[in-house]
Amino acid sequence: METREVFWGLGTPQLLLFYGFGIAAMAVFAWGVWRHISKYRHGSPLPQSLNIYSGIKRMVGDVLSHRTLRRRDTMAGLAHAGIFLGFLLGFIGTALIFLETDILKPLFGVTFWKGWFYLGFSLSLDLGHLAAVLGIIYMMWRRGFLGLSKLDYMRSYRGETDMRPAASAWKIEDWCFISFLLVIELTGFTLEAARILVDQPPWAAWSPVGNALAGIFAQLGMSMEKANSIRSSGWWLHGLMGLAFTAAIPLYKGKHILSVLCSLTARDPMPLRRLPKEAEDAESAGVSTVSDFTWKDMLHFDSCTKCGRCHDACPARTAGYPLSPRDLILDLRLHNDKRQGVGSNDQSLIGDVIDADTLWACRTCGACQEICPVGIEHPSIIVRMRRQLVDQGNMDPLLQTTLGTIGDTGNSFGENSRKRSAWTRELEFKVKDIREEAADNLWFVGDYASFDPRNQKVSQSFAGLMKAAGTDFALLHEAERTAGNDVRRTGEEGLFESLVEQNLESFTKTQPFTRIITTDPHSYNTLKNEYPEFGDVAPIEHYSSVLADLLRTGRLKVTKPLNRRVTFHDPCHLGRLNGGYEAPREVLRSIGCEIIEMPRNRDNSFCCGAGGGRIWIPDQQGTEKPSENRVHEAAALGPIDVFVTCCPKDLTMFEDARKTGGHEDDFIVQDLAELVAEAVELNSISLKDMPSLAERITDAVAIRIADVVAQRIDKVLEARLAAFPVAQAVPQLETVPAVESVVEQDVAAPSEPASDITPVVEAASPESSSPTGVTELKSMSWDNMTPVQPAVFSGYQAPPKDGPRILVTVKHAAILGDEHAFTSDGRDILPEYLEYTLNEWDDAALEEALLTIEKIGSGEVVVIAIGPEDAEVSLRKVLAKGADRAVRVWDDNLACADPVIIARAIAGIAQVEQPDLIFTGVQSSDHAHGTTGTALARILGLPHSAVIIGVEWDGSGKLSLVRELESGTRHLFELPSPAVLAIQTGINVPRYATMRMIKQAKKKPLDVVDGSSVLDGTGGYVIRKMYVPEQTKAEMFDGSPEEVAALIANVIRDKMGE
Amino acid sequence: MSGILIIAEHIQGALRDITGEMIGAAASIKEAYGGPVYVAIISDNPESLSEDTNLAGVDEVFTVKVSGPDFDAAVYEEVACQIGAETKPGLILFGHTVNGMACSSAVAARLGAGYASDVFELGVEASEIVATRSAYGNKVNLEMVFPGKGIVVLGLRGATFLIPEEKGSAAITSKDIDVSAVTGTMTHVEYQEAPPSDIDISKADFIMSIGRGIQDKENLPRFEELAKRLGATFGCSRPIVDSGWLPKPHQVGQSGKVASNCKLYIALGISGAVQHQFGMKHVDTIIAVNTDPEAPIFNVATYGVTMDIFELADALERQFN
Repeated sequence: METREVFWGLGTPQLLLFYGFGIAAMAVFAWGVWRHISKYRHGSPLPQSLNIYSGIKRMVGDVLSHRTLRRRDTMAGLAHAGIFLGFLLGFIGTALIFLETDILKPLFGVTFWKGWFYLGFSLSLDLGHLAAVLGIIYMMWRRGFLGLSKLDYMRSYRGETDMRPAASAWKIEDWCFISFLLVIELTGFTLEAARILVDQPPWAAWSPVGNALAGIFAQLGMSMEKANSIRSSGWWLHGLMGLAFTAAIPLYKGKHILSVLCSLTARDPMPLRRLPKEAEDAESAGVSTVSDFTWKDMLHFDSCTKCGRCHDACPARTAGYPLSPRDLILDLRLHNDKRQGVGSNDQSLIGDVIDADTLWACRTCGACQEICPVGIEHPSIIVRMRRQLVDQGNMDPLLQTTLGTIGDTGNSFGENSRKRSAWTRELEFKVKDIREEAADNLWFVGDYASFDPRNQKVSQSFAGLMKAAGTDFALLHEAERTAGNDVRRTGEEGLFESLVEQNLESFTKTQPFTRIITTDPHSYNTLKNEYPEFGDVAPIEHYSSVLADLLRTGRLKVTKPLNRRVTFHDPCHLGRLNGGYEAPREVLRSIGCEIIEMPRNRDNSFCCGAGGGRIWIPDQQGTEKPSENRVHEAAALGPIDVFVTCCPKDLTMFEDARKTGGHEDDFIVQDLAELVAEAVELNSISLKDMPSLAERITDAVAIRIADVVAQRIDKVLEARLAAFPVAQAVPQLETVPAVESVVEQDVAAPSEPASDITPVVEAASPESSSPTGVTELKSMSWDNMTPVQPAVFSGYQAPPKDGPRILVTVKHAAILGDEHAFTSDGRDILPEYLEYTLNEWDDAALEEALLTIEKIGSGEVVVIAIGPEDAEVSLRKVLAKGADRAVRVWDDNLACADPVIIARAIAGIAQVEQPDLIFTGVQSSDHAHGTTGTALARILGLPHSAVIIGVEWDGSGKLSLVRELESGTRHLFELPSPAVLAIQTGINVPRYATMRMIKQAKKKPLDVVDGSSVLDGTGGYVIRKMYVPEQTKAEMFDGSPEEVAALIANVIRDKMGE
Repeated sequence: MSGILIIAEHIQGALRDITGEMIGAAASIKEAYGGPVYVAIISDNPESLSEDTNLAGVDEVFTVKVSGPDFDAAVYEEVACQIGAETKPGLILFGHTVNGMACSSAVAARLGAGYASDVFELGVEASEIVATRSAYGNKVNLEMVFPGKGIVVLGLRGATFLIPEEKGSAAITSKDIDVSAVTGTMTHVEYQEAPPSDIDISKADFIMSIGRGIQDKENLPRFEELAKRLGATFGCSRPIVDSGWLPKPHQVGQSGKVASNCKLYIALGISGAVQHQFGMKHVDTIIAVNTDPEAPIFNVATYGVTMDIFELADALERQFN
């Protein structure tokens, strides 16, 4: 019967010895595995439950097909498949022998390791191991001679010239592992050949490799004796090596055999597309120590085989930024193994193990996780560590400013939200407002497509196409907020959640619509994948598939095929993350473009570099921008006409890169919609549609006439208003109560005769919606001075002092967009045109106060704002940054208060608080009076100084100060405390308050004080008129260079008085 | 109303331009508002500055001798109030400067006077002051009046009003003012001059910026030279800094500096991305040069030129030779 004896020639003692070794090997193996498992047990729980069944299904498919290993490196994939096959068969063979020898045969007397089954298995084992040997040899050759950069552990991308000790160890590990495999294989074949030589079984041909080797041995004249001794020593060598190999699996690179199976099973089905939420009860934001990683993250670390595919694909690494996804994971693994899943006090994860710069280099393009054969989700790991960085305020100042701006205005451009749909005004038709009219489609436009001038043109093209195709759509107009995809990827999770809340609320206040469309892949991704975790969202489609559908169904007809050679850039968020590869290509083909693919296309598309919030972070000196790398790739394709994008950020990045990269003559950058508009001759379409065109023209003309008439009427009214001598205006009835309150105030201060009250200034009609209110000034002269006194807030009490107290004045300052309108009395801006933010100078003042108190080590920072309830937004922000208490004083009649009156109100609180120092900002960003601090000091009788850029104070006694004079001269001087100091920006870098901290700050005390007694007529001015200074579009200078230069010279001399 | 009191500003023994500018502003409304125009010089050696303040329109210069040469907000406030009480001017002028900001509103609050700061236009209607200032980053102007206020204190914007060219014939009077009550709160330590090489976009009043239009780093020196020749601070847009052609302090825009004190801005080869506009669109006079007539920079520019910047630079060099 065809078989082979398993324990050939072994006596009982040897057999026992072998079993002893076997058991020891299993014990070491089990200990190694247990060590990993106990490490994972220190990890955090998964944010969402795992679907084991589908995970296993996907894992088995990927492992058997080797799909993830073959991608972009076929040879390595094949080699690995060979090794995998050899070892899989070896494992099955060994398991079967174990089954027969140790279970079935002793218990039931059943044997099957014989006959045809034995022969068949023998053949497959032989061939499988041959494949493994070939695979191993290729792998060794590849490592040794191909010089692949992805297998180089030298971190030259971050300027290192010496191999780190750990990296040298990795290299040794790699070689040990692969050599171990080879030795096991070769001893196996030798043993087999020796056995065949000795036994000469008639079925030797079923082991073709062993048989051939036996033939060679015979040819070489190997004696039977020699063969016998090789057989017996080989048996032990091979057997013990097999056992050693098994025992060592969990201890080094071999562990990937097990961890990868788990890692692939545990994969997030929507990695990066949908980032994990922050646990509600999390003590600190994101990941700050290894135990904040989930057990799955740790499993991922242990699965990395250093194949370097991510290292190759990463745009940050390619551009020379200090990030290689591979090295990030390896560093994390090293640290986690050292710490065994438990955080350390001596070594901080962020800073000591992973640099903040490394984390900020990421563009969250997903190229690394896409190509990772073992399912590691690098971007999610990076973003969760960024959450901690954001919490610490460890970020680029520009990013910090932008996040603040988004929090204030809902867009990254800091524009007034009313301007969001300004681009629609140049269209020939009116775009629906979904808040008023139902529509089939809600177009979620996104920031870049709304505000960036170049992208506005694309938005206009797409709107025209939709109109021409008869596709009904509407916008959210100013109710839209930035979707937050990139905000989330910077790690500002709280701000993302607040944006989601705002947008979801806007969606609930609309008229019906059935679908959301967008031109922005970033908005597309988050609305599609992340918003559903927070609330109901209609299905969403990217405009590339909308256009493909309109062209396919003939609702858009190509009348002028473009006949251009184009290349197409797959946006990360459309292609790699959401699989939208085909629609844009279908569109391009149907408008007559020949697509020349760049080498890196579809899932291997190379990020423009703008993702993950990087568009808000300045580029590092001495790096090549990823976008430039990309345009070089396009230029190398040979003659192409157009570099096509379908993402607003791409358009911006590549327009730039084309110029800076020196390809201005090579091709142009255009958006998909612009090309389609050209191919369907959008500009002439309306001519075929005369009736509605006529209607539109009539409408447009009517609107323009109405505009002109309205402007003229405004001017006439304005002129009349201006002609009224203000002080003589007749008091209106509604102002009487205000006058009375002044009288009351005067009773409290009897030195002021009531007869001094000036007639009230009021130019508005009684039905005016003016928020300006009325300021009445008390009459005064050199013979009758009316010194401004602190306001009296009788009910207000301050807690007792515990250390130095610094009072900081905070203004919720208004931001005015480019568009606005005035109140009917022409004295103020209509409130709906104003958005608000924490005044930049007060932010610096607060920071200085916090730094001062932190340095002293005791005391408190109290903040005060004079403003309506809305001002609490800024107060919460400063409380979140570290202020201890807040006070808000308000009464509606303070809306017209000038800075001297505001100072009077602050002085009232200061008299109760008795602070040791008062910090104000030098000025506010809206009115820029630069007055409050000085007036406040005078009212309180305190020493003071303006434009302070340096403060030294020990909590009592003298202040050492630096003032910044014009042209940069610094004035060093001293003042006694208490004093009032107006702080200049630039003195410090204000810390960032995350949305999470702002929410937590709701627990801090905020007193609201009635300010009705503040306005007493001692104020400084009355605004008579507010108007837009005359502005014209550039007056063009024409003529020869000489003539133009002369004109410019005149302007210079005229302006600069030369 | 009548009478204008100007508080002169000086540093390290020399008058600052703002003093002459305040005199110019006062002179421009003197007829409508009514004189006399007084100038008060507060210093340990005020006489040395009296001739320089004796400009056309000034009726009387008061020299006020105090213990030190350096600005002390409390002393200035005290002197303004005491001279005011004696001469009873309807209008007191300070510069809206770092020094002026430290005392103008204190004087206003102490007197209960009308007050406005950063005023750049001064008018008189029915012998009452009308002051114009701006708000919201110069997007709107405000006209302010002070009904009932027998005294108005104003802080005037610098580099706005013209200094009278002619000398005046003012009487120089020494004033003995007792400031002992407020002297000594502030202790002067020293002045430190800014390093001369420092460029500060936010303070520059005239900036010439270059953008991608210069094409190559090799072209940089000639534009730097041109800026020097024009007397302008040399600025640039982000790509220039990103390319490492100029250091960061030169950058105008959202991620660079805002040209907050700029009066004249020349943009050469800058298309005018929003981020760049952020730093300069508020500037009073902007000259933009770009080959693309559709460049967004022309939407914010006062004057535009569509021309090759190299040709224009040649011509400008000849103009300013």
